[in-house]
Amino acid sequence: MSGLRSFVARRLLLGVAQVVAVVLLVFALTEALPGDAAVVLAGDQPDPARIEAIRTAMELDRPAWERLVDWAAGLLRGDFGTSLTSGRPVAQYLTGAFGPTLLLAALTVALLVPTGVGLGVLAARYEGRLVDRLTSSVTLAVYAVPEFALGVLLVTVFALRLGWLPPTAVGHGTDLLAHPGVLVLPVLVLLARPVCSLVRLVRAGMIDALASPYVAHALRYGVSGARVRYLHALPHALAPAVQQLARTIDWLLCGVVVVETLFVVPGLGTVLLGAVGERDVPVVQGLAVVFGVVTVVLNLGADVIAHRLAPRAGVAA
Amino acid sequence: MRGRAGRFVLGAVVVTVPVVIALLGPVLAAEPPARAASFTEGGDGHRLGTDFVGRDVWYQVLHGGRSVVLTALAATALACLVALPVGLVGALTHRRLVEELLMRPLDVLLAVPSLLMILLVATVFAPGAVGLALLVAVVNVPDAARLVRATATEIAARPAVEALRLQGETWWRIAVGHVGRSMLRTLAADAGTRLTGVLYLVATAAFLGVGAAPDAADWAVMVDRNRTGLFVQPWAVVVPALLIVALTTGTNLLFDAALDKRGRSPKGERVREA
Repeated sequence: MSGLRSFVARRLLLGVAQVVAVVLLVFALTEALPGDAAVVLAGDQPDPARIEAIRTAMELDRPAWERLVDWAAGLLRGDFGTSLTSGRPVAQYLTGAFGPTLLLAALTVALLVPTGVGLGVLAARYEGRLVDRLTSSVTLAVYAVPEFALGVLLVTVFALRLGWLPPTAVGHGTDLLAHPGVLVLPVLVLLARPVCSLVRLVRAGMIDALASPYVAHALRYGVSGARVRYLHALPHALAPAVQQLARTIDWLLCGVVVVETLFVVPGLGTVLLGAVGERDVPVVQGLAVVFGVVTVVLNLGADVIAHRLAPRAGVAA
Repeated sequence: MRGRAGRFVLGAVVVTVPVVIALLGPVLAAEPPARAASFTEGGDGHRLGTDFVGRDVWYQVLHGGRSVVLTALAATALACLVALPVGLVGALTHRRLVEELLMRPLDVLLAVPSLLMILLVATVFAPGAVGLALLVAVVNVPDAARLVRATATEIAARPAVEALRLQGETWWRIAVGHVGRSMLRTLAADAGTRLTGVLYLVATAAFLGVGAAPDAADWAVMVDRNRTGLFVQPWAVVVPALLIVALTTGTNLLFDAALDKRGRSPKGERVREA
């Protein structure tokens, strides 16, 4: 047990370092701007009034470290600064767009784990048979396809040709749960890549585990096949999969940005992309910190769970 | 055996179409046909119709693959070139401080989602194709360097390396001549899988408007810009989207089949050694 505790402590330390690094990296962005940041951010219309407004809004005449300390202290209080284009607080952007993104992510993860594990176990159980070969080739093929390409093709087939589902979420505002039809294609596109990687990992882990001496031994003792599969073999097969699941979060974040753009869902990804287009640095920074910290925390959780499932595996920390 | 060979052939066939179009398209394309109304559905000289500003879709398709393929190849090569020395030194140095200084920052960087990093930089710099290749390479370095280090550490613990060290061979000879050479297979395999990920990132970034002009002839940009006319003129979206799917899927199938072949032999050798 003390092994687990010291592992968690070391892993927490790395997590804290990662959060600090994310904050520093995001802040360094404005410092990296060549020349006068306010002039660069004003972009195509270098109107003196706008440049002055940006300069005061971002307090560019104060030394960088003072701004960093202020900004970081604000982050702790939930104060993310104000937008350059609209003057609204960044926190308002976050709370306003949080719902749809959380809904998409939660639905995806809720479907991802049972589908991925179920298909992986199924393929491993019938290794080499038709089910296995079918799942293996389909997952391999879909695994690498970018969401936007898959998305437009699905829209063309299911919304345009067949007319079964709406092509975008336009006109439904943030209340997407009331129109479940709108969610089908976005969640399907978001699921595609993570499911494929999860299925492949669970399948590989499960095949290894089922061929191991301890499974053979348990079967010799007369323990039932299902019990051996799900209580003995599955936890070992899941350890590498849980870690991959954390990496999938990186994909999910990328995917959410793309899918929200594609299906016009008013979530965090849409806000982020809009802010990138308008060079609204405080909004981009605020969103980047939120996305970055969420990734760090979820990675941490996945590592701890993976360690708990297979303590011998020695997760890097 | 047959399954693997089959997948190899399938992957090669699937990837050939987009790669040939990407590399030879600009040579094969004739003069661009005159502009017409936007989103017309084929006919009168426009085989696949016209796009959002009335340009010929077929002509754009022929020109649109080169940027994706070349940017991805350059980014993969660059990531490997940077990761190799970093990982090698990290594994073979005898000074713990050097190892920590090289590897720890990479551990920390791994936490930042790759697309987020690209969007962050795009906010302030508006990178072109070269900038995008650099960015994607940087995003890939931490992971690649960790793999190099893990592989090199494993090889450096083998008896052969100890024997070389006892013989008094120089650090360079051991690092480059033995460890580096023994790693080549693993590195080639990693570069293959990495290329698939890089293709994904490059195409997605272009779709989101990073690294390509808004009116560029680029398959991902075409998908994005012609989406508004999907109901009137689906070809302008479907054809480039299908080419991107073929490119990424084919690359993945091809490298997976190739890796399978290589993945077997070292295991077999090790069994024989023991």
